Amino acid sequence: MTETLVRLRLSFFLGLRSLQRGNIGSLVMTVVIIGMVFTNMIFLPSVITGAIKLFEQQTIEFQSGNIIIEPKENAEFIDDLEDLLARVNRVPGVLRAAPHNDIGGVMKFKGSRLPGSIIAIRPHDEVLVTGISRMMKEGQYLGEGDTGVIVIGRLVAGHEDKSEDLMPSLGGVTTGDSIDVEYTNGVTRTYRVKGIFETKSYMVDPLVFITWEELESVRGQPIDQATSVLIRTVPGEDENEVKLSLIGMGIQEEIKTWHDLLGKAFAEVVQSYAVINNISTAVSIVIAIVVIFIVIMIKTLNNRRQIGILKAIGIHRTTITFSYVFQVIILAIMGIIFGLMILFALDRYFTVYPIVFPDGDIRPAFTIADIVSNAVLLFIASAVAGFIPAWQIAREDILTAMRG
Amino acid sequence: MIKITGLEKIYRLGVVEVPALRGLSFEIHRGDFLGLMGPSGSGKSTLLHLLGLLDFPTAGTIEIDGVDVAGLDDDERTDYRLRKMGYIFQDYALVAELTVLENVMLTALAQGKTESQAGEASRDVLSIVGLSNRLNHLPKELSGGEQQRVAIARSMVNRPIILFADEPCANLDTANSQAVLDQFHTINEELSQTIVMVSHEEWHKEYFHRIVYLKDGQIEREEDRHHHGD
Repeated sequence: MTETLVRLRLSFFLGLRSLQRGNIGSLVMTVVIIGMVFTNMIFLPSVITGAIKLFEQQTIEFQSGNIIIEPKENAEFIDDLEDLLARVNRVPGVLRAAPHNDIGGVMKFKGSRLPGSIIAIRPHDEVLVTGISRMMKEGQYLGEGDTGVIVIGRLVAGHEDKSEDLMPSLGGVTTGDSIDVEYTNGVTRTYRVKGIFETKSYMVDPLVFITWEELESVRGQPIDQATSVLIRTVPGEDENEVKLSLIGMGIQEEIKTWHDLLGKAFAEVVQSYAVINNISTAVSIVIAIVVIFIVIMIKTLNNRRQIGILKAIGIHRTTITFSYVFQVIILAIMGIIFGLMILFALDRYFTVYPIVFPDGDIRPAFTIADIVSNAVLLFIASAVAGFIPAWQIAREDILTAMRG
Repeated sequence: MIKITGLEKIYRLGVVEVPALRGLSFEIHRGDFLGLMGPSGSGKSTLLHLLGLLDFPTAGTIEIDGVDVAGLDDDERTDYRLRKMGYIFQDYALVAELTVLENVMLTALAQGKTESQAGEASRDVLSIVGLSNRLNHLPKELSGGEQQRVAIARSMVNRPIILFADEPCANLDTANSQAVLDQFHTINEELSQTIVMVSHEEWHKEYFHRIVYLKDGQIEREEDRHHHGD
């Protein structure tokens, strides 16, 4: 056995025995502190990751699908819609494409006026592409060929007491109420509200939907145009690959993945969150280092004489130093395991009782990458924090140390 | 075997120099049971620390089997202490978290012996000191005399060429002191173990082959009682 292995083996032996037969109260306290620090390192980032994931999920599920096709630059509409849909639906990896056609209008209800876009959809396609049909707060979603009915978001419906609304609304519409819509082409229609949806997304809940047939009736002609086409990809498909396939089919319109759609601004938001995460992690690491440093410093000071004696009988200072490093490593492992147990309990709890945010219910997203990287970080920080005081004492002159 | 020549130790307290040893020269022979005696402050412990490579001399040489060990660096000294020297301190100096057997195994493991080799060697020496029935006890569960016998076993397990004892009976009553000294006598007689022991008890003289009396950092006189050395 090499000298280094002999020393490490003896270090481990001394470290383990010290923990087994040392002060149990100090051991439990240190493990609990490391566990809490580890929990803190993971929990805040997991909430932020959960919020980001929620926003991404809302974007895909309710706003854009996985991929969205928009009109060419300087064009108002996507033309030859039926031909485009036929081509898109043939692309491998595409589950379904759903066209949207927006038209401006002013909604009126009991004296309230609310300008906005009314979106025409094909419910049969829409239910395969977006999840709004599954988010009905009351009433029903649109059916294929429905006319004379409208489905509105909860922020459009609003409250009778408008002070409760975060944005302009129709002032307390409920299912079955009639609202008037004055379209920009001068046509006015009265619709029965078939249902009200609530996605908790501020981007989606102000939307209003009618059927494609209803829009054709408003326009007075068949419509072969769309303002956008939302595409749902087959689960597991790479959206960028599907996007490239669509480009390869000669589609001239703007094709964006949901990621492209969120764009640079969203990337900057994510980056800002990353900065918050890093600050939180750094603070946690400093707390861990200080606590472990103090624990080991006290322990080595109390054992100063014993360290001197070990050196006197021929135990190398590296062996002594690493006996403390091993103690810290074992404490860190126990602390991390304790932290994982806390995180598991939190995960169970927040699965049942998510954190309610105005923008949706957030479940902390514990990622393996976060857990592993933070565990490694805490592990290294602990080892360093344990090494320094032990190294300081172990290099002390033997007789000075033996005097205690 | 051990040749000490012109050994000096001066402690510096700020600008004040305090000479603890003033040019000692003498020899220790293989198989000796040497007593270092003298009044408080005479330099006994300082000499033992220098011989045991726990401290550095200001001047002079310590040759062990022809090697000047005073000039070894820190790591070489640690290794030399582990492989060639044994120590017994007045307060036993056992590791509180280790059992009797583990305390004794410690230096054997540090030498690279396997756990079973170290265990076997440790049981052997613990049997010599009469503690075979206390292997799994912690130091706090033993009497002072028993703890000192564990320390003797620990110092013996690596078969050192020389064993240093710094007032090993200082914390023991007469009966336990006698038991410890009997132990030293046995290992000195039966294993020809060289022992250097600091003491200030007159009755301990009975056990020594030779006594070096120190006074004010110098050898006052040497007394050869019944020399066994080479």
